[in-house]
Amino acid sequence: MKKIKAKSSEVYVLLGVLAAIIILFGVASGGALFSGNILQTFAFQFPEFGLLALGMMVAILTGGINMSLVSTAALAGILGAMVLSNPALDETTAITLGIVVCVGSACLMGALNGAIIACLNVPPMLVTIGTMTLFEGISLNLTEGGAISGFPETFFQVGSGSILGIPIPLLLFIIMAVILFLLLEKTPWGEKVYMLGSNPKVTRYSGINNTAVLFRVYVLSGLMCGLAALIMISRYNSTKVDYGASYLLQTVSAVVLGGTSISGGYGKVAGTVIAILVIQMITTGFNLLGINKLFTDICVGAVLIAVLAANSLKESGKLNFSKKRNLA
Amino acid sequence: MKKRLLAVLMVVLAVALVFTGCGTPAANSSESAEASAPAAEESSEASTADSPEPAGDAAEDGEFTALVLPKMIGIPIFDAFEAGAVKAMEDYGINVIYTGPTTADAVEQVKILEDYLNKGIDCVVVAPNDPAAFTPVLKKAKEQGVTVVDWDSYAEEGIADLSCRQLNDEEFGKAIWDGLAEAMGEEGEYAIITGGLSAENLNTWIAAGTTYAEEKYPNLKLVTDPVPCDEKQQQAYTKAQELIQAYPDLKGIVGISTPAPIGAAQAVQEKGLQDKIAVVGTVCPNDAKPFLEDGSLDSGYLYDPTGFMNATVYLAWQKALGKEITDQMEIPNTGEKVTVEGSDVTYAPPLKFTKDNVNDYNF
Repeated sequence: MKKIKAKSSEVYVLLGVLAAIIILFGVASGGALFSGNILQTFAFQFPEFGLLALGMMVAILTGGINMSLVSTAALAGILGAMVLSNPALDETTAITLGIVVCVGSACLMGALNGAIIACLNVPPMLVTIGTMTLFEGISLNLTEGGAISGFPETFFQVGSGSILGIPIPLLLFIIMAVILFLLLEKTPWGEKVYMLGSNPKVTRYSGINNTAVLFRVYVLSGLMCGLAALIMISRYNSTKVDYGASYLLQTVSAVVLGGTSISGGYGKVAGTVIAILVIQMITTGFNLLGINKLFTDICVGAVLIAVLAANSLKESGKLNFSKKRNLA
Repeated sequence: MKKRLLAVLMVVLAVALVFTGCGTPAANSSESAEASAPAAEESSEASTADSPEPAGDAAEDGEFTALVLPKMIGIPIFDAFEAGAVKAMEDYGINVIYTGPTTADAVEQVKILEDYLNKGIDCVVVAPNDPAAFTPVLKKAKEQGVTVVDWDSYAEEGIADLSCRQLNDEEFGKAIWDGLAEAMGEEGEYAIITGGLSAENLNTWIAAGTTYAEEKYPNLKLVTDPVPCDEKQQQAYTKAQELIQAYPDLKGIVGISTPAPIGAAQAVQEKGLQDKIAVVGTVCPNDAKPFLEDGSLDSGYLYDPTGFMNATVYLAWQKALGKEITDQMEIPNTGEKVTVEGSDVTYAPPLKFTKDNVNDYNF
């Protein structure tokens, strides 16, 4: 019982923070925050960032990091866009093929990361910085720095349409978050991911194939990038090498804010999801109040440090548990 | 009291919108927007634009609100633009919001505009980081009756109601050569150091300036073709030294592209030729300060970000009010005139930096 409680404590702290922020902005904006349009826009805005953050989270759980997230998404988006904007294909083929190419190529790029990290045993930071530059270079070569646009009208729906009143990007995000939750927290494979992040040596001696686990983690990370890319190219009706460049460090903030240990082995999907909402809510709230964007960065930073401090203070008495929790 | 009542009404309307918004399946954003538009007009007659979401202060007190969205904020040149936006707000009594992403990322920039469209603005003045990425959101803005004005870089064709440019190439070239003639006493040999031979804008300024000088200052003699410095200050410094050596009677150097005059001034300063050789050209005032102060650089030129932004906000406001923007229209308070060509508006007067005024600028 005690352990379960300890496990979710960060999530509750975060939920409190989120509630406080919503109430604060709700009151400050005179209730405008809860208007339909703003909630709608909110639901369209955060999924692309959210998917990238989930992609970052799985990598961090294993004690790694994926610095190539944004450039993976950019290259996948560009490859998809090249298919989508091909005038030789009819609309249905272009869209189907475009989606397959976009998501497929992102998975392949994830696989490349995974293969180098898992098989060659190179530190993930170095590998992904390398592939970041590689993907960026390829993207630049393909586009010559320009934007690709001119997609079929219907494709616009992926990023701006709704099914039963739920925005498609939000739907995609919810589905992926649930899948990730089930994978990580309800399957034996997920257990292995946490173990690997906690102590790779012990994991290997327990008869677990570290290589296979790591490889899949980075493919999964790539998949998230592919889906984020899909939303982005549709929402902006175009793609370019530096779309979303500001997301990279923000995803790390979201993951850490969500209570995931930066050294791996601990972290909950729910925490990351709430952290994503917190960050986006601060951005939207400040915009709604007409406050300069510089303060958004300051505020996100302050919340990050405050939550980390709160968690660390709470844990200081039971520091030794922090890494063992998930082995229970 | 009235304001309070209106605010309460807004909240009720907003809450109602949440429910209608959630209840209608598929494509509800545009539907609910249409549904609420008449209600908004009824509840606040003073509202200038028919923004569908009467949540923000814009609709609340009937004030005109313009959003100025630069490529990014937090660097000196964009602070100078901000000063112009703030000045416009004070000068014309309208509400101006100046905000942008902290990195030059189109995605972040689009999101800011999306949020402000919900807040309720009458006009957006945007310098798009990427034109294509802005097309969907700008179209949405226009559907809501928001006037779209671009500056610094163009939005995609046919999107903007007005495009504001900060420089007239012709005028700019003339201003630089006027400064050269003044510093050289209208006679003598001079040379040009340019950023690159294939840079179109630089070539236009040079062509404008030399043609103008041939007529107006016939005693100025260009000794050789423009020398390129590859946009590098070090290279400009070396080239200037070579020019001074090769042409002993050289009395002036024009630097086109911001590092060029600085490099040339450095060479002049080192040789102690401040009184013999005049250096003028395009500069950022912060780089130019030390050289202007000791006379190695005589005068520097750049577009005027503050005046330009002040004019842009004024023009955007007029455009949004439905007034026509005409050629040679005067910007009140500054008295400067703009040139109009189609939907392109150019604010011509460049800034001239000298020893006396350079400390007033910080970018």
